Amino acid sequence: MKNLKAFWAKILIFLSVMGPGIITADVDNDAGGITTYSVAGAHFGYALMWSFIPIIIALVIIQEMCSRMAVVTGKGLADLIREEFGVRVTFYAMTVLVLSNIFNTISEFAGVAASAELFGISKFLLVPACALFVWWLIVKGTYKSVEKVFLVACLFYVCYIISGFLSKPDWNLIAKSTLHPNFQFDKAYIFMLIGVVGTTIAPWMQFYQQSSVVEKGIKLENYKYSRLDVIIGAFVVNIIAIFIIIVCANTLFANGIRIETAKDAALALKPLAGQYCFYLFAFGLLNASVFSACILPLSTAYSVCEGMGWEIGVNRTFKEAPQFYSLYTTIIVIGAAVILIPGVKLVPIMLISQATNGILLPFVLIFMLLLVNNKRLMGKYTNSKFYNFCAILIITAMIALSLFLFFTVFIK
Amino acid sequence: MPDQSTNINISAAKMFIFFSQLMDKPVLDKDGQGVGEIYDLVVKSSQVYPLSDALIIRKGFPNRKYAIVSWANIEKIDRKGTQLKIDKSSLNFNQSHHEKKEFTLRRDILDQQVVDTYNHKVIRVNDIQLLVVDHALMIAHVDIGSRGLLRRLGFENGIDLIIRLFNPQARYLKNAHLISWKHIQPLTINPVSMTIKIDLPQKNLANIPAADLGDIFLDLNIKHQIALFKSLNFFNKTKIFTNIDFKTQSSLLDEMNDSEISELFNNLPSDEATDFLEKLPQEKIKKTLNLIESKYSKRLSQLLGYSGDSAGGLMTTEYIALAKDTPVAAALNQIRERKFKSEPAQFIYIVDETHHLISTTNFRRLILANPEEPIQNSGFPKTYFVRLDSSIKEVAYLMEKYKYFAIPVVDKDNILQGIITVDDILSQLIAFAWRRLKRIKIMQKT
Repeated sequence: MKNLKAFWAKILIFLSVMGPGIITADVDNDAGGITTYSVAGAHFGYALMWSFIPIIIALVIIQEMCSRMAVVTGKGLADLIREEFGVRVTFYAMTVLVLSNIFNTISEFAGVAASAELFGISKFLLVPACALFVWWLIVKGTYKSVEKVFLVACLFYVCYIISGFLSKPDWNLIAKSTLHPNFQFDKAYIFMLIGVVGTTIAPWMQFYQQSSVVEKGIKLENYKYSRLDVIIGAFVVNIIAIFIIIVCANTLFANGIRIETAKDAALALKPLAGQYCFYLFAFGLLNASVFSACILPLSTAYSVCEGMGWEIGVNRTFKEAPQFYSLYTTIIVIGAAVILIPGVKLVPIMLISQATNGILLPFVLIFMLLLVNNKRLMGKYTNSKFYNFCAILIITAMIALSLFLFFTVFIK
Repeated sequence: MPDQSTNINISAAKMFIFFSQLMDKPVLDKDGQGVGEIYDLVVKSSQVYPLSDALIIRKGFPNRKYAIVSWANIEKIDRKGTQLKIDKSSLNFNQSHHEKKEFTLRRDILDQQVVDTYNHKVIRVNDIQLLVVDHALMIAHVDIGSRGLLRRLGFENGIDLIIRLFNPQARYLKNAHLISWKHIQPLTINPVSMTIKIDLPQKNLANIPAADLGDIFLDLNIKHQIALFKSLNFFNKTKIFTNIDFKTQSSLLDEMNDSEISELFNNLPSDEATDFLEKLPQEKIKKTLNLIESKYSKRLSQLLGYSGDSAGGLMTTEYIALAKDTPVAAALNQIRERKFKSEPAQFIYIVDETHHLISTTNFRRLILANPEEPIQNSGFPKTYFVRLDSSIKEVAYLMEKYKYFAIPVVDKDNILQGIITVDDILSQLIAFAWRRLKRIKIMQKT
């Protein structure tokens, strides 16, 4: 009886702490992510499945450091960078972050436009409507209400899991290819692998995660729950990615269909996996795009205002936090407007967003490593030797990947 | 709130120098040989405007080393560079640069958050303006404007030039967003005592209206909240504690030691104390009550026994009660001599030897009354009161009907237990009205 009560108390604490990790990880499966996973599944079948195990580990290690810094210092990542590395570094990092997130937001609205076409709605209707909804949510909402909406959006990702089951996959084969790395020395394969890793770990995530843990005001004594939140988030996001790959591998790859976008994937699914699978896939895309179109501008505005020392808003009014809301609004307006330009090319936009992410990520990761090991800030909560070894290994790999990605953008 | 940043014509103020204009500039020894660059400035924090005390010099990359030079050994310091009175060889370069306890500009102020006690805001420092006094430098202002930001980025001259081209009269060129140091409360935490390093005369914070002070406090992160709270006197502590949300209150409580808790609660008005305590879990209430002065804690635990929306739960036990046969002059003297916590003393309650409520009076009636007469005669013709179990609606109804700012609460034997003031009722009613308003809105929609 007593044990049961303690158990429920623990569950309750977890529910109150939960959010930042799961939300951040789920936004990761945004329009760009779904496209990447669809293409990976359609072109390579289950051959990339193994990569999700190292990705989960990397994601947990990186995001856990942010969460820990947030709980211990009570400050956002941009705050800490400004306070420890000065204004110049912060300014340039924020400039690149804004640029990168503007392009990311454009690609989220591209996802909205694509799902509009799948549902047979005009994108000139759906894109502005979604932009307005996203804007209204933050400007009129409070942090608590917004977070609830976000958590509901996270639930809708179940769409992909259901559509995965609907495609009736061969589970033995899936288990085998997840546990047995099947590395191919092939240019297309390597590019795809980098794409999958790159889309899972992006620089805005660290800023967003840390700020939202700070905003929640999680106490040090409840930190273990916050860590659990990060771990669950990392698993959930990758399980969903795995199911997207399963759907596409099981139908498109098996039939030798080549696709370019998530929209192609959904359309190709219709005759192969049926009506329901198609609608679930399309709805998942819409949900992911709107959700991310909300978080990316929010996270950008948050980080920039933190770093520059401007008032930060979800719980404030436009007048009290003008820079915050202008930045948020501008990014949404640009994101939605670019998609409505007739004949706009999406590929260069995706490439620029990849390149800017690639420039920023190494810096962010190095800053994080320096900050988390700063005794003055973190006290006894700095990384342990083993943790540092893992973190440095992952960060080196990530830097190599993002540099590679950055240069390929110009080589291609 | 008018934004009272001091407007200083920068070009005319040659006496002023920005810290960013000194930072990273070369330092020469007495023979003109380079020894490194300026890294940080240590200040003496004893005065309202701190004076420079020492210079921290940095050299080498990536293997940085730091040396500290006391101000007496500095020949000159300005925008162009710095010259020392001593020889290069007498400098003692080390790996680490900061003494923990001293107060320095780069680590403790620049780019950090501070409280602007004039505009009641938490701000981030973009630059620091120093005044050249004789040989030393004195912190005069902090720059929180975009111009300070641009100066740090090295764009100030370029942007100035562009703006001058288009509009030589632009306000941007003339004004700087500077805030006088005397209004700045830094938030650097002393790692040993875990309190705020410099604390200005606390009257700066005391002058901020309580609600604003609460808002400022909520803008800080938890570490700063705790450190600032610990550095305050009990007056400011009480003021802050009553104006923040429960979550922040309870995390502060977790960080306080027993004597701090007892000090805080002994100074907290009883209605605020019960408001907070009744939200805590049972065992924490007990623990806290044990720390409080026994007489007061008895009263609090009694108050906690009443339901939150009954008169007993709403009332405070701070009021003025005087014996019915006290002469008016003596009564006024007693009031003058006694110190009351924070409840407004609008009314004086007249009681008999066993504390039964006899009558109510107010200052106006007392002042106009004959000083020789017992106060009993100066009371209102009729006395209104509520019972411990009266509902909030009854209380509100009576107060509105007779236009009272406070109403006494008695038990079933008519013994005076406490009073309810209009602000306690108002906050309850507003919460109630909000819920109603929401429900009406929902009904209108459907």
